[in-house]
Amino acid sequence: MNEIKKVNYLVGKKAKLNTFIVPFSAEIIEFLDDLSKSLNNFNKKNISDLKVFSFFCRKNNILRLKNKHHESNSVRFGLGLLFHITPSNIPTNFAYSLIFGLICGNSNIVKVPSKKFDEIDIICKSINYVLKKKKHKKVKNMISIVKYGNNNQLTKKFSSLCDGRLIWGGDNTITNIKKFDTKPKNIDIPFSDRYSISLINSEKFLRLSKYKSLNLIQNFYNDTYLVDQNACSSPHLILWKGKFNLKAKNKFWLYMNNIVKNKYNPPLISSIDNYSQMAKEMIKNQNVHSFKRMNKSLYIVTLKKIYPGFFLKKTKWGFFYECNIQNLKNLNYVTNRSLQTLTYFGFSKKYIRSLFQSNNFNGIDRAVPF
Amino acid sequence: MYFLKSIIEQNAYSINSVVKNKFFKKYINKLTSFHYNKSNLYKNYLNGIKYNIKDNNNLDKIPFLPVRLFKEFDFLSIKKKDIFKTLFSSGTTSNNLSKIYLDKTNAYNQIKVLQKIFNKIIGKKRLPMLIIDKKNNLLDRNHFSASTAAINGFSIFASEIAYLLDPNGNINYKLLNTFLKKNHKKQFLIFGFTSNVYLNFIKKINTIKINKKNFSNAFLIHGGGWKKIEEKKIGRYKFNSILGKKLGIKKIINYYGLVEQIGSIFFECKCGYFVASSFSDIIVRDENFNVCKEGQKGFVQILSLLPTSYPGHSILTEDIGEIIKDMNCNCYGSGTRFLIHSRLKDAELRGCSNT
Repeated sequence: MNEIKKVNYLVGKKAKLNTFIVPFSAEIIEFLDDLSKSLNNFNKKNISDLKVFSFFCRKNNILRLKNKHHESNSVRFGLGLLFHITPSNIPTNFAYSLIFGLICGNSNIVKVPSKKFDEIDIICKSINYVLKKKKHKKVKNMISIVKYGNNNQLTKKFSSLCDGRLIWGGDNTITNIKKFDTKPKNIDIPFSDRYSISLINSEKFLRLSKYKSLNLIQNFYNDTYLVDQNACSSPHLILWKGKFNLKAKNKFWLYMNNIVKNKYNPPLISSIDNYSQMAKEMIKNQNVHSFKRMNKSLYIVTLKKIYPGFFLKKTKWGFFYECNIQNLKNLNYVTNRSLQTLTYFGFSKKYIRSLFQSNNFNGIDRAVPF
Repeated sequence: MYFLKSIIEQNAYSINSVVKNKFFKKYINKLTSFHYNKSNLYKNYLNGIKYNIKDNNNLDKIPFLPVRLFKEFDFLSIKKKDIFKTLFSSGTTSNNLSKIYLDKTNAYNQIKVLQKIFNKIIGKKRLPMLIIDKKNNLLDRNHFSASTAAINGFSIFASEIAYLLDPNGNINYKLLNTFLKKNHKKQFLIFGFTSNVYLNFIKKINTIKINKKNFSNAFLIHGGGWKKIEEKKIGRYKFNSILGKKLGIKKIINYYGLVEQIGSIFFECKCGYFVASSFSDIIVRDENFNVCKEGQKGFVQILSLLPTSYPGHSILTEDIGEIIKDMNCNCYGSGTRFLIHSRLKDAELRGCSNT
């Protein structure tokens, strides 16, 4: 067992990580503003995600957040030491997680993906540069960014020290991290697997001009394929409402297929992932009406019905489920804690709002038009 | 199935390709319809993909099951009470293993075919065998991991067996030297998993403690893939040349096979290609599952006439390979020749828990 390997401290060497302060403290806001400027200097390759992050850290933006969330009547403090387990697939995610920890007044140990990413290198370089300044001495004691491979001993150690854990990376990571004991009062904030759905009014969709249909489908493509259908906001189930569902489906998937064929370039294994998923559905899912394989990255499984307790396991790489919905009240069959967003087309905001209110759709986070 | 008996009496390699293709096509179609009728899961699958069962579909039209489905489903074309032996894929998490169920006939045929192939390559005489592994004492005779299954499978051709590693994973030099002293004058076998041979034999062995000349009659057989030692950038050439230089081992054969498909074991020929025997064949497919053109790399689909207890006669692997047509290579008859380039890794996904 060579589990205890070296930890690579990208920022902060075993700092005194017991500092906690008030939320939105002046020190943190100034640190973030300096970081924003320093990031712009270090981002020589103009990586767009870093630009976005730098823009987020600006004083004005943080003050805007402060105005929105800060309660001046109450006295609050950070929890203490936070341990962030950040996802391995979005390189800048760790930085946002850290910023949230800091803004709330906490000290932070942030575990970054063991894989090498330019974004992580540049952000850590910038943080180290800013932390050299004397005025940020206090903040220096609040940040430790660590990198290590699969090492349960270290995760165990950090878990035993912290007052709160931010667990990114979905259900499997959460189950794994929860095995490690924490202090009794530790608070876990897990980000579990979630997915999103779409609701389309088929008659309205068929009435769209070609230009507008393509636009709509391009938006759908962006929500889905740009993140390999793996973001929580990516639609997995499309519900069709109306008299001409079949015709609308054909049009929708045909246009989609053209975009996917030309633009989407997934890794090889996605072919096998999608085919295997389809085979699994054929073998065991009695609710399958039929399936279409438009290309290696566009599979559509048409379901017979949605029913109370309906549950969907998250897919990826362009693997969709679709179903007709007669009565929109039945949306509550699919709204549960695993559901994040409903994107809709062909219904008014007012209508969707009243539908949600009068039917107590539980679990879902938001509904937004396409 | 009645026809299997006659098939496994065939010669392992020497059937000419026209005859082989003819009987292979005939029986692989028979197997498809056999499993369709015996396994409900397989039936659902073929119905789902709207497969049209015929008795003369071409080989590339035979439906394939993606290999990872054996981790999800218990595919059976026999009654549960007839399960004689269960094979498991290697892996660390117990709930994520392939489970392959064999009845007596399948277990017998698997050994019979391995023996035929082995005889052709090594000869009919049993030889002393040094196994690059620890001795596994706690053996449940009904449950075999891929590694124990392979060691067991090969060891039946041995006249005597010695395990190189002690229970702590160190080389047992006393045992090794006794084995070598006794057997070095005639051909003997060394068998192990590629990663084991590299990590526990090539890297660990202290040449001062042995007599290098004692390995000159060794015949080393290894398989299981390069994945575990991939980061060390070890390929066939380097592997073989270290074995030659450090230990004087010249005869080295790599094999390819998956626990999920009995009867499919492909030994490497002198030209460096894996060669299909009379009992198996391969197809290489591109990312859209169309058959690859010559020289094009793609997913390897393996086909075997042996599996009757479970629908594993046509499996799509996650290995990337390439079919080779080399008129100058006459090793082991006319079976399909191919190379394995890599095993697909789990992809890094974009996306995350949304903020």
